[in-house]
Amino acid sequence: MTMRVRLPDITWGKKFPKITIDLEKCTVPFACKKCLQICPTGVFSVARVMEREERLKEMDPRIPGNYVLHVARRHKCISCNLCIEVCPVDAIKIEAPAEERLRPDVKGVQWEST
Amino acid sequence: MCWLCDDFGDPRYGKGYWYLNPANYARNMYKLRMPGEGFKGAEAGLETGVHTGPTREDMLKAIEDNDQAEYIRILQYMEAVQQGGQIVPLEDADKVLELCSPIGVMACICRKGMRAIDERNELEYTCMGMGTGMLKWERWPERYKGGVKFINIDEAKEWNHEMDRRGFVHSLMLFGAPFIGGFCQCDYPDCGLINTALDFGGGILKSHYVAQVDYDICNGCGICASRCKWGALKFEVTTGKANIDQFKCYGCGLCHTGCPMEAIKLVERSSIPALAEVW
Repeated sequence: MTMRVRLPDITWGKKFPKITIDLEKCTVPFACKKCLQICPTGVFSVARVMEREERLKEMDPRIPGNYVLHVARRHKCISCNLCIEVCPVDAIKIEAPAEERLRPDVKGVQWEST
Repeated sequence: MCWLCDDFGDPRYGKGYWYLNPANYARNMYKLRMPGEGFKGAEAGLETGVHTGPTREDMLKAIEDNDQAEYIRILQYMEAVQQGGQIVPLEDADKVLELCSPIGVMACICRKGMRAIDERNELEYTCMGMGTGMLKWERWPERYKGGVKFINIDEAKEWNHEMDRRGFVHSLMLFGAPFIGGFCQCDYPDCGLINTALDFGGGILKSHYVAQVDYDICNGCGICASRCKWGALKFEVTTGKANIDQFKCYGCGLCHTGCPMEAIKLVERSSIPALAEVW
């Protein structure tokens, strides 16, 4: 199969931040939506819990566990920590790569040890 | 000609563009996906099946590991299974809307996921569903929480022009090639296919046009610069006029429709040798 797609500009070998979400703390992301709307690069995404028998039903976003928050575009995360500051339940953790160690005093970021 | 035109175009209709071939809107092109059944690849939808195979996370890992061969292998797999589509400028969008029926407007599924937009309001309707698939919308109560409003061709055109005024890109979506089942009003970074195209490659095809500035008419007002989603158009301070990087231009025509002086025109992609095969 020939390559018919042009690649965008990719920095090969670049490390991306690792973002973890504590799903026990973050239970109603669709109703809260603070991180989803504040993120300047649109890193987060919210999805319905996709269990086979539940797939066709309408879900109430206010009931805990109906929707889950996940990280869809961590390659665009700039470690600005707006989501960490805005999260009411403190569920988001960002682990920025060592080469981006520019603001070592920022709240909430765990820096990778080198 | 793009490969969708090679495969699904008909030279008798609209210069051979695949989206102007009425056969691609035909009812018998629609593939019925039953709820609860498992599907793989292009047949898998959000509602019916769970995607199996490599994911975005695997592509990010390939970038981190500096493994270009693996990245290209995954991208080729994604291209083979993804539905895809193409950006369509407003003039062609009007022609498309005359070919399909019924047309229903609804809330956007990408925007719902990325920014948690509640779909309770008709004002949030942006995307259009077209053809047979729309008739069974009530089967998916979660997807169509905000409902669907069926409109006629004139209303659809008017509504499309309003979306253009607001600054949305029009993109035509394949629902199991070659069936054309959706006409979305997209934005970056909310749209799944546009952010795939810009961040990873693939996803959605550029349109058959590229934008060109007429420097004699451009007065440097800068309105077009605020409408470009692709980072292709900028205000060039040296000349005091708009400047377009045509390699980055997707030919969506938003700068063209937004220009008060009509200084930006869309030219055929095939008329510019270096861009003819840049999709």
